[in-house]
Amino acid sequence: MSANRWLATGNYFTSYREEQRIFFTSLDRTAMGLLLAVLFAWPFFLELDNKYMLVIDNILVAVIAVMGLNLVTGFAGLISIGHAAFVGIGAYTVASFSRMLGENHLLLSHGWPVMIILAGCMGAVFGALVGLPALRLKHLYLAIATLSFQMIFQWTINFMNFFNQGQTISVTRVTWVTGQVSRSQHYMFWYYALLVVIVLCGFGVRNLLRTRYGRCLVAVRDNDRAADAMGMHPGFTKVYAFALAGFLAGVAGALHAYLYRGVGVESFTLHHSISYLAMAIVGGLGTLHGSFWGPLAIKLLDLQVEQLSEWVGAHVTAATNLATALRPLSFGLVIVLFLMFEPRGIANWWRIARSYVKLWPFRY
Amino acid sequence: MAYLFQLIISGVVVGSIYALSALGFVLIYKSSRVLNIAHGQIIATGAFITYALTVWAGIPIYISFPISMVLTFFLAMSVERIFLRRLIGEPIISVIMVTIGLMSILDGLIYLTPFGTENFSFPPFLPTTPIAFAGVSISWTQMVGVIVTFTMIGAFSWFFKKSTLGISMRAVSDDQLASMSIGISVPKVFGLAWAMAGLSAAAAGGIIGNITGLNFDTLHAFGIVVFPVVILGGLDSILGAVVAGIIMGLIQQFASGYLDGNWGLNGTGEVMPYIILLIILLFKPHGLFGIHEIERV
Amino acid sequence: MKMNRVTSWMFLLAAVSMVTLPVHALAKEYKLGLSLAITGPTSDAGNPYSKGVEDYFQFVNDTKMLGEDTINCTIRDDQYNNDITKRNFEDFLDQGIVFYLNYSTGSTLALKKDFEEEKMPVIPASFHAGNLVDSNYIFLPIASYSAQAIGLAEYVVKNHKEGTPKVAMFIHPSAFGRGPVEDLQKAVGAGLKMEIVEVVEHGKDLDNTAMLQRLVSKGVQYVISQTVQSPVATMLKDASSLGLVAKSFGEAGKITFLGCHYTGGNDLVALAGPAAESFYWTTSYIVTNEPSPGATAQLDLAKKYNRDEKAANSHNYANGMMVAQVATEVIKRCKAKGKEVTKENLYEELQAMNGDKAFSPGTTVGPVTYSKTDHAGVDSLQLYIVKGGVFKSTGTPFVPEYTKKI
Repeated sequence: MSANRWLATGNYFTSYREEQRIFFTSLDRTAMGLLLAVLFAWPFFLELDNKYMLVIDNILVAVIAVMGLNLVTGFAGLISIGHAAFVGIGAYTVASFSRMLGENHLLLSHGWPVMIILAGCMGAVFGALVGLPALRLKHLYLAIATLSFQMIFQWTINFMNFFNQGQTISVTRVTWVTGQVSRSQHYMFWYYALLVVIVLCGFGVRNLLRTRYGRCLVAVRDNDRAADAMGMHPGFTKVYAFALAGFLAGVAGALHAYLYRGVGVESFTLHHSISYLAMAIVGGLGTLHGSFWGPLAIKLLDLQVEQLSEWVGAHVTAATNLATALRPLSFGLVIVLFLMFEPRGIANWWRIARSYVKLWPFRY
Repeated sequence: MAYLFQLIISGVVVGSIYALSALGFVLIYKSSRVLNIAHGQIIATGAFITYALTVWAGIPIYISFPISMVLTFFLAMSVERIFLRRLIGEPIISVIMVTIGLMSILDGLIYLTPFGTENFSFPPFLPTTPIAFAGVSISWTQMVGVIVTFTMIGAFSWFFKKSTLGISMRAVSDDQLASMSIGISVPKVFGLAWAMAGLSAAAAGGIIGNITGLNFDTLHAFGIVVFPVVILGGLDSILGAVVAGIIMGLIQQFASGYLDGNWGLNGTGEVMPYIILLIILLFKPHGLFGIHEIERV
Repeated sequence: MKMNRVTSWMFLLAAVSMVTLPVHALAKEYKLGLSLAITGPTSDAGNPYSKGVEDYFQFVNDTKMLGEDTINCTIRDDQYNNDITKRNFEDFLDQGIVFYLNYSTGSTLALKKDFEEEKMPVIPASFHAGNLVDSNYIFLPIASYSAQAIGLAEYVVKNHKEGTPKVAMFIHPSAFGRGPVEDLQKAVGAGLKMEIVEVVEHGKDLDNTAMLQRLVSKGVQYVISQTVQSPVATMLKDASSLGLVAKSFGEAGKITFLGCHYTGGNDLVALAGPAAESFYWTTSYIVTNEPSPGATAQLDLAKKYNRDEKAANSHNYANGMMVAQVATEVIKRCKAKGKEVTKENLYEELQAMNGDKAFSPGTTVGPVTYSKTDHAGVDSLQLYIVKGGVFKSTGTPFVPEYTKKI
């Protein structure tokens, strides 16, 4: 450890314990504290339109889901093409309670934190179930097993009357200490709720990765036979990675249900699974903060392109085809360019920027 | 009894079209270990090019069909050159993601043309009365589809077994480093694999387009429909694709023929392939004909 | 000196704004919103629909139909994704829209509660009867899918020769497709003399031979479809190659195919080609190949804004145009009464659109009527049949009877 607790110009670790700390310097800790303070405080100073609040909330939901995906795909190296289905399991947990108990039951409106955790547990159970083939399957075959789960999930929801055959099942407004959250407060309320959940999950995941269970995931990703030889059980680890991912996805799903006040199967299709994957990759696989960058980048890009195509549509007459084609085109281009030129995602830019600042004024 | 035979025949016919769609998939995976999610878009592109040549340029379909196959051959080759060449050696997930990006780009390009949102159909060029035999019937379009499928699969099998190029492609799929050391150009092989996949995709697109009419939604969905087929057959086996394609066609026909409408079930043809797939994968993790990879620590 | 220049600029600015502001205050701009799938699934219907809406509002502004006032309708592509629809709707609310146009069944159902809370009058492009359940602010432009299916069933019962007609339904595997199934079963329960032998949910089928043979062996003579064009086209192709398509209505041993709004139109002919011959289709919209004032208006509008042939003749272009006509009409009526154009007043005007105040847009086969209890616009349906590759009307517009009995 360097003498200076605020600025470290290099690594001065003398024990593994030090290397595993969450904050390396006091500066890191303060910066994180400040960031959180800003995130909690800005709505008091700046009022945003509902549209943008919804966009922000939506990004935060995606952050939780992508955190889960990053655990299973980034850290444990198991490609999952069915993540939206896990999110859907969470949402449909809330929805089925809504169907069984009646829409305005106290458990749903007052006990929503319990519901969110319950949805997470449900996601974990299904995650573990879907992870079971991982005991035998590998690589792409496993990826396709998750795809199968996605398809079976969609079919089941679409088919069963209990789930309203995939049509929207409405979810009630929640009640907080200040009374029922009204329409005007809705997005702000869920912004704070999401923020708290993200902070909890973020620290949870960060701490997990410091323990043997977290490192176990990485070891199995890097070489499962070596991990086996070192006394870990690769199969069990994979199942458990899926369960963890399922838990976070389930939580995200429940939040999605409450945020949109309804659950319909169209929000959890294969297309969404692919978008989650795109977010995880653009953000940077195998990094925790990548889970924040990815959804942010993809959702904002979508918004920007929407505006761009509207602008094109307004200025180039009779070019609706061009304007509409712009959206998928630019989305695809961003993903492809990222992978061609920055396969490690935005997280890598962050890493470079950090080390640049850290070593300043010396060149990196 | 005739109903059972009809189900079997329809299953085989549909299955062989699946096999043809899956073929391109397998070709790409076999040589370069890339899972091409944009395959459905390439199938659609092939169908649209065939239509444009036939109807807009007025070329007879017997000629325009091969021309479109050749065009798609070069198109797929350039896709590989532009997008995937740089990613050789990158982790598998990056490569999958690139094909997802590619899917979006192709979507965008197709929306630039009328094909993105409008519907078309090929002018009929085959007799419309079906070939009927003992209460079982099969339409001429489907018959031609089956013939094209088996011709192409036969040609590809021969190509991989006998020709130098095919053997070098197999060598690359087996061990890239070793094949480079004996003078095989690995990038060239990858390009060729994509090109051949484009060729078969155009053929599949032409046939599917003739059966369903040209609707972008319907056509590109086949990129996903073939997933269970290729996995069931084993990702790197051409024979596997054929057998699995036919099995899947049969499963679908039997599911919708016998399950639907009974016990309150409906639409089982869509989901049954995936359920069967999961069960089979538990017993044979590398599919029916996939090569069991031996891993070294 | 510098101070002076600033003040003189201020004066000038004030003077300019004093001149221009009153003019602005006179000419009002009414904001509307439309969110629909221009790309992605169902874009073959959404694309011409959006063109119809866009062109008609442009036409309203260009011809000064509302005097100096203009309509500003923002059209957004939601790629058939409910989350984006919700985002667009929130955006429109922030902009202060007075009327909202929606598209898919899924998003209409998902946003139903928001419409209630915001008291926002909405016309979706989905005619799903379930849209109206527990909802006060959703208005269907034409008769629901259920009414359409029942209308077709009534036609079958009326024109069937011997015994009870055996009918099968061919539906889309979603809420959109399943909507009319239950209602049709109820109608049968209420005394409609027919038998629903089987309900087939289609997938991405490449071959319907087995299904068709099964239906024929069960004695099915009529198939009522509620889905989109592509699967119907595949089925028709198979049926025609098997020689199963009835030449005349209800021909024994053959099958007569019928379908609701989204199964037909020129797109079906484009997809199925000659196999579409003698397909029966019902909708409340006119078709452009039969001369009528509405058809002329539709073709002229498309021509004025340089749309291609396909869009101009699409029934979904008429669909979008009609929705825009209704929206314009209520704004016009609201203005004529000297009321302020707000969502509340527009909602009232919409509900008052009945009796002698019924609105005839010309693009439909009957007048648009709404009331407190009736939120389905055009109640009458027209039956069309494909002859020589075009849809020709057969009989006169009719109103299904059993919709009220269930």
